[in-house]
Amino acid sequence: MDAVDEFEFFLEKDWSDGLPVVTPTEVRLARMLAGTRRSADELIGTVPPAGGRATVRSLAIHALMAGCKPEYLPVVLGGMALILRDEFNLNGVQGTMHGVAPLMIVNGPYARKIGLHGGNGCFGPGFRANASIGRAIRLMLFNLGGAMPGAGSATIFATPLRYTACVTENSEHSPWESLAVSRGYSPEDNVITCAMVESPRLTFDDTNRDPQRLLTGIADSMTAMGSWNMHTRANMVVAMSPEHATLCTRAGMGRADVHHRLCELAGRKVRDLKGGGNWRRERALALPIEVDPDDDECFIPAIKNPQDLHLIVAGGWGPCTAICHGWAGVSRSVHGIYEEFV
Amino acid sequence: MANELPFIDPTEPRSGNPVNPAARPADLAGKVLGLLDNRKEQADVILRTVADALRERYGVARVVVRHKEHHSKLAPDALLDEMAREVDVAIAALGG
Repeated sequence: MDAVDEFEFFLEKDWSDGLPVVTPTEVRLARMLAGTRRSADELIGTVPPAGGRATVRSLAIHALMAGCKPEYLPVVLGGMALILRDEFNLNGVQGTMHGVAPLMIVNGPYARKIGLHGGNGCFGPGFRANASIGRAIRLMLFNLGGAMPGAGSATIFATPLRYTACVTENSEHSPWESLAVSRGYSPEDNVITCAMVESPRLTFDDTNRDPQRLLTGIADSMTAMGSWNMHTRANMVVAMSPEHATLCTRAGMGRADVHHRLCELAGRKVRDLKGGGNWRRERALALPIEVDPDDDECFIPAIKNPQDLHLIVAGGWGPCTAICHGWAGVSRSVHGIYEEFV
Repeated sequence: MANELPFIDPTEPRSGNPVNPAARPADLAGKVLGLLDNRKEQADVILRTVADALRERYGVARVVVRHKEHHSKLAPDALLDEMAREVDVAIAALGG
């Protein structure tokens, strides 16, 4: 038999995201499984729509293929368990025409220990933990779930966030408690929050130092007419740079104040929404809030339930906020503590 | 083939057993037609139109309409089992 080039083999088999993977061998698998005390045969769940079994072993195979270190495996395990929860509705997202991805926001000391990055350039390339943990999840959604575009997925564009979607907050420079602490966890807890969102859209503002004006500009980017946030109940992630967050803090606004104010400001009147975009009268009537589609002055907020807005502090120093809009289907965000490996 | 190679196959056996498609009836005359509305907007309009056409042109005897909770969620097994007992043929529709 001719020698097989394993990199080409895995690409020809559609077992990758289009980039070469680390070849899974028994030796590498054993090394990866050393990253957990859990049994390799333990079933985490099945991945829709194909129903492939996500076991600790299959997670470890994909983690090594994606380029993870063994110490990343607890985050992959914790993230996958959350992503498979019913209320997250992975089945719907795998098949949808839209292009969202399960963004993992990892808080707590273990994220820092393994080098997850929440600072300068955190949504982009260059950071092994961010790149490989998110990639491991994506490879499983393909290989175990069958959600390749054109097969199990009807996505029109997908999103670059489907290569990887894993960040932490910039805890070193954030003026606020973390997202996890705002939800009642301890700062010592290792917590993952997952939300189905689109790629970040950047709102640059190097002009306004008054938080009310700053937040008005950010809120405007939360209300695009074609955004599902304006037409359904959907998640949204707002990642303020430490600089933007600090401007709010200096004016006396804490995290909860900014969260509350963004929920108030981000929205459009029926008159505006009727002008184009995704407006449908029956869609407006189906919203889980009171809306009068025949009243042009009626204000429709982008955030229908405050729980759906995930406000974090991330990125490097500079006047920018990143906003990720949500998905039309029913996907509720999920969060929970994951087991670190000591 | 993968077994002959020094690599691990990253795919896992799928859960559940393969399902064979049900036998197709030769015609629809006198049959009970099931319609599964996935709750996308206007799916009900599409299904009503299809039901009327099938009744008029092919003699469907009775139409049973059921609804999913949400278009992005799977229909529960109980709903599918009930439809399977009650209808001879079923159509699931997308709206949009």
